[in-house]
Amino acid sequence: MSDDALLGMLALTLRVAAVATLLALPPAVALGYWLARHRFRGRALVQALVALPMVLPPVAVGLGLLWLFGRRGPLGPLLEALGIEVIFSWHAAVLAAALVGFPLFARACEQAFAAVDPRYERVARSLGASRLRAFARVTLPLAGRGILYGALLAFARGLGEFGATAIVAGIVPGRTETLALGIWSRIQMGDDAGARALCGASFALALGAMLVAELWLRREAPAAAHAARP
Amino acid sequence: MSRETLVRARVERGGFALDVELKTEARVAVLFGPSGSGKTTLFETLLGLHAASRPTVQLAGRWLDDPTRGLGTRVEARGLGWVPQEPMLFPHLDVAGNLRFGMPRAGGGGARALADAIEVLELGPLLARRVDQLSGGERSRVALGRALASGPQALLLDEPLASLDLALRARVLPYLLRVRDSLDLPIFYITHDPDEAQLVGEWVAVLDRGRVVACGEPRAVLWSRAVLPLSESLGLENVIEARVRACADGTARVATRSGVELSVPAPAPLAEGESVRLGLPARDVLLAAEAPGRISARNVLMARVVKVEPTEGGALVHVDAGLPLVARLTQEAVHALELAPGRAVYCVIKAHSLRRLA
Repeated sequence: MSDDALLGMLALTLRVAAVATLLALPPAVALGYWLARHRFRGRALVQALVALPMVLPPVAVGLGLLWLFGRRGPLGPLLEALGIEVIFSWHAAVLAAALVGFPLFARACEQAFAAVDPRYERVARSLGASRLRAFARVTLPLAGRGILYGALLAFARGLGEFGATAIVAGIVPGRTETLALGIWSRIQMGDDAGARALCGASFALALGAMLVAELWLRREAPAAAHAARP
Repeated sequence: MSRETLVRARVERGGFALDVELKTEARVAVLFGPSGSGKTTLFETLLGLHAASRPTVQLAGRWLDDPTRGLGTRVEARGLGWVPQEPMLFPHLDVAGNLRFGMPRAGGGGARALADAIEVLELGPLLARRVDQLSGGERSRVALGRALASGPQALLLDEPLASLDLALRARVLPYLLRVRDSLDLPIFYITHDPDEAQLVGEWVAVLDRGRVVACGEPRAVLWSRAVLPLSESLGLENVIEARVRACADGTARVATRSGVELSVPAPAPLAEGESVRLGLPARDVLLAAEAPGRISARNVLMARVVKVEPTEGGALVHVDAGLPLVARLTQEAVHALELAPGRAVYCVIKAHSLRRLA
């Protein structure tokens, strides 16, 4: 395996995980905020549904995506009309990584928002800030570190995503072959040395991401405690 | 402009129901009552946080909610300067950032409102501080300043002194009174402290278990027979406002506006002309039928009995000693001194019974 191939896989893996995290960010923030601020019947059901992509067999998640975005799926005609090819492209890998990372992300956002005393928002509104401005200027900054922690978790989860990605993106060297898929195909080819090298790269990447997340969490602790104080 | 305030609200929350109707023209209105009486829920109603219960709110002449006309004003459009019970300063902003938060609403007057707030509350030295570097009293002042800098049409102060210890209260209360006196703003003030209610307000509404049980001039209302059990349980006492005439040897001579002079302890020297507010428990006021001779109590005032009000286990004797005072006596003492309206008496008050509030 050439260095170029390894670097290519590394770059693709990082790109897929990063874009997936960005893609999951708005819905994770929105859902996390909604769950943190509202008590309603069926809340537990919503939370359980949100957690599903994390606990379902990844292969099943992949099949679901395949059906949803496939040519004969409900979104197929729309995507075809727009000329967007999802299945077996790196977009599919992004979708898979975003979906499996979403539960962690949304839960982290929910906890981050729950730790922000809602009275800050009320004070902000009493001072003339619209709902949106109060959210953007007060709640979001106060929950910011918790949200970023969630983003790092989702990013780290995306780095290693395999099962769902293999189904919807396939293993196309140079196009959809991320590190995790690369390891699998090396094993299939009997290239143990290559598989080991890719494992090493994955290990370094995952460790780096989690280390950053943990350090972030530690840094966050005093500020969050302050924000949560009544 | 009419300053009329009119509130009709029925708010149910969990097991608690607030059911009030209020009407006043006072610029400084106090909502007084024990905790759990619905004061904060009433404030939340004024703030528009209970819009679902369709209240009627006219605040200091401005109509905010009127269900009969389909009028309802959003929280951010009500133009109120709310200081919640906890200061709730935004922890991610410094003091200046907190003060500026509401300025956009004040529009062109924002800079002026901010400058006024900084001056009246002496916030200049704090501007660059982080919020977690402030003391309790400083936090309260910044929260008040933040509300003022938003150019509000009225101030809503929710127990602004309750989270402070006694010494800090005495430091912050003068700022509150300065805001009251130097800015021509309608103020609504929540407290469970009868001293504050008498000092701050020109009108008080007494809340108990979600209802208004009495309202009117603070002294008259708090000392009225109907409210007395409640106000006494919360520490009702005589409140005296005075100015320092002289200060020496740990004692200050102060004079009320009506010219009555009193001796009060002054552990720290007081400047001449400084204004002080004193608390004096009714049980610490002695009445004598004849002028006492040499006596250690430093204050002996000639007075006339205004009213004798029997209470549980005794009587409250209202006297006019140049300033209105109330003495708590036993029925036995009332009979022995033959106290009745019009009777001349001497009021005896130890200097140490006068506690400085601010």
